[in-house]
Amino acid sequence: MIVQSDPSAPIVDRNAHPARSTDPVVPLAGLRVAITGGTSGLGLALVQECLARGACVALVARGGERVQRVAREHRGSHGIVGDVSVKDDTYPIAMQITGELGGLDVLINNASDLGPTPLALLGDTACEDVERALATNVLGPFRLTKALLGALAASAREGRGAVVLNISSDAALNPYPLWGAYGASKAALHHLTRIWNEELVAEGIHLLSLDPGDMDTPMHALAVPGADPATLKRPEVAARELADSVAAALPVRADV
Amino acid sequence: MIAASLPRQRPPDAKLLMVDASGCISHNPRSPFSQFLRPGDLVIANDAATLPASVQGVHLPTGGPIEVRLAGRRSLRVRDVREFSAIVFGPGDFHMRTEDRPAPPRMMPGDRLALGPLSATIKELLGHPRLVSLCFEGSADEIWGGLARHGRPIQYAHIPAPLAPWDVWTPIAGPPVAFEPPSAGFTLDWQALAEMHAKAVRFATVTHAAGISSTGDPELDLRLPFDEPYRISDATAVAIRRTRADGGRIVAVGTTVVRALEHAGRRGVIQPGEGLATQRIGSRTPLRVVDVILSGTHEPGTSHYELLRAFTSDATLRRATDELNSHAYRTHEFGDSVLIERMRRTPTDGHHRAGAKRLAKRRWRRRIFTTVKGSCT
Repeated sequence: MIVQSDPSAPIVDRNAHPARSTDPVVPLAGLRVAITGGTSGLGLALVQECLARGACVALVARGGERVQRVAREHRGSHGIVGDVSVKDDTYPIAMQITGELGGLDVLINNASDLGPTPLALLGDTACEDVERALATNVLGPFRLTKALLGALAASAREGRGAVVLNISSDAALNPYPLWGAYGASKAALHHLTRIWNEELVAEGIHLLSLDPGDMDTPMHALAVPGADPATLKRPEVAARELADSVAAALPVRADV
Repeated sequence: MIAASLPRQRPPDAKLLMVDASGCISHNPRSPFSQFLRPGDLVIANDAATLPASVQGVHLPTGGPIEVRLAGRRSLRVRDVREFSAIVFGPGDFHMRTEDRPAPPRMMPGDRLALGPLSATIKELLGHPRLVSLCFEGSADEIWGGLARHGRPIQYAHIPAPLAPWDVWTPIAGPPVAFEPPSAGFTLDWQALAEMHAKAVRFATVTHAAGISSTGDPELDLRLPFDEPYRISDATAVAIRRTRADGGRIVAVGTTVVRALEHAGRRGVIQPGEGLATQRIGSRTPLRVVDVILSGTHEPGTSHYELLRAFTSDATLRRATDELNSHAYRTHEFGDSVLIERMRRTPTDGHHRAGAKRLAKRRWRRRIFTTVKGSCT
């Protein structure tokens, strides 16, 4: 279940409403979308989903070779090499996004860090693992969103709409043992999203914090090595639900 | 004036010298900016983000080290990032005053330049040993990537520490098309925008590829500003029309906004879309769109100062310059500000709005201001 950034709403009910293939697809034609962590798992599924809906997509990830390959294999996408957890990468990433797309309508902060792997009790977690999780999951989205706020506000003023989607988790609200670094960082991101959304209402920028559910992704395999993939959501299904939520937060456009 | 040598966009003690429509001068703290605005005003800023337009490299035919400063392009089209005009210096960097920089090696069309991860070819010489047009190799994405990794903000010697990208992006920066920051926009943060909303002041943006402010060569400086492409959205054009219909003022944040708006409105009506601003604005330029300008503090003789002459009389500007000097205003991109209302012209001036009766009233008011502030003529 996709949950909006409403504190009273449950974030735990995962596979209650899987998208059906017969549901009509809301197009994102001509929209300029940036996705971090876009070369694997949910990020890659989001790249494919947005491209299939007609968006222009910039994907950001650390690995140069993978970025080039994914960009090559997906017509209409732009590959950008950068690490959102590194402050000095923020502006080079932001500049390439707005430069290559000619502006920005939707930013999806998807890149995440799990904290210690294998997962560990907080008492056994190294400070560096917490710092890395916070840098990737909180500071990274904060910095990139801030650097792109002007572009997003311009898009909103021009009537195209502007959405920032921060990928959350049920671990943001529930105190799952072993998920301390990740859960605390996602809780911070969730709250940051809600506050920023309040602050930007007048500018027409919407910030969403949504939980995609437990998915069959490389990250989940790192966290829960023995999990049965059959019990997990497919990332493509989650990507479709998230794209619907983004489309719902954008103004209805006459040209599509 | 004193050069502002720290890259602080909004120092708490920033000052603003205001020149009103009758030429009265007052000294103010710059923040909050909304205090200078009235309900119904439309504030228009340049939302261009600043490119890392200074690129170090080598002139391959001679092996000589060079610094290339990208200085202009033809259009804002996303794919049109291959060709730029550029100022080229010999060895060295921003620590040395541009006036003292050694000349680049003698360049010829076809010469290749190695600029970190980027390669470029000299296309043309543009009438001065430092000014060329060049062509980058590779795809648009490769050029963006190369500039992002290897380029640095253009910087001058009055700021000793290297500038970071976040020093030169205004809070509202969007498309990365400016060669130097549209620095009047440093004044506006999100708090200022919220205060404008609360005061029923409208806000809009144009995107204007602000060019470089100094070449280090007096002869070349005379050619500034170079042609600058700009884009005005439908929403901004509509906001201008509404504001004028409602009797509100158009407040331009920075000289680049004046240049874009006056170019787009040169036939009376603002045309939305992309244009290329080629005009020079000076004392004889009739302003058809902009009523008020927020700008930095500029020295007489610069092209920015020339533009201010379109807003108010030379005598008033001279008094303003005296005030800026005697009150130790800071200058350059991180300096203090001026806010100048377009002067009400006398009926013989041609492009006036005021009749003789209003003029008489103004003279009376001006006398009052003179007594209070002591700085009116």
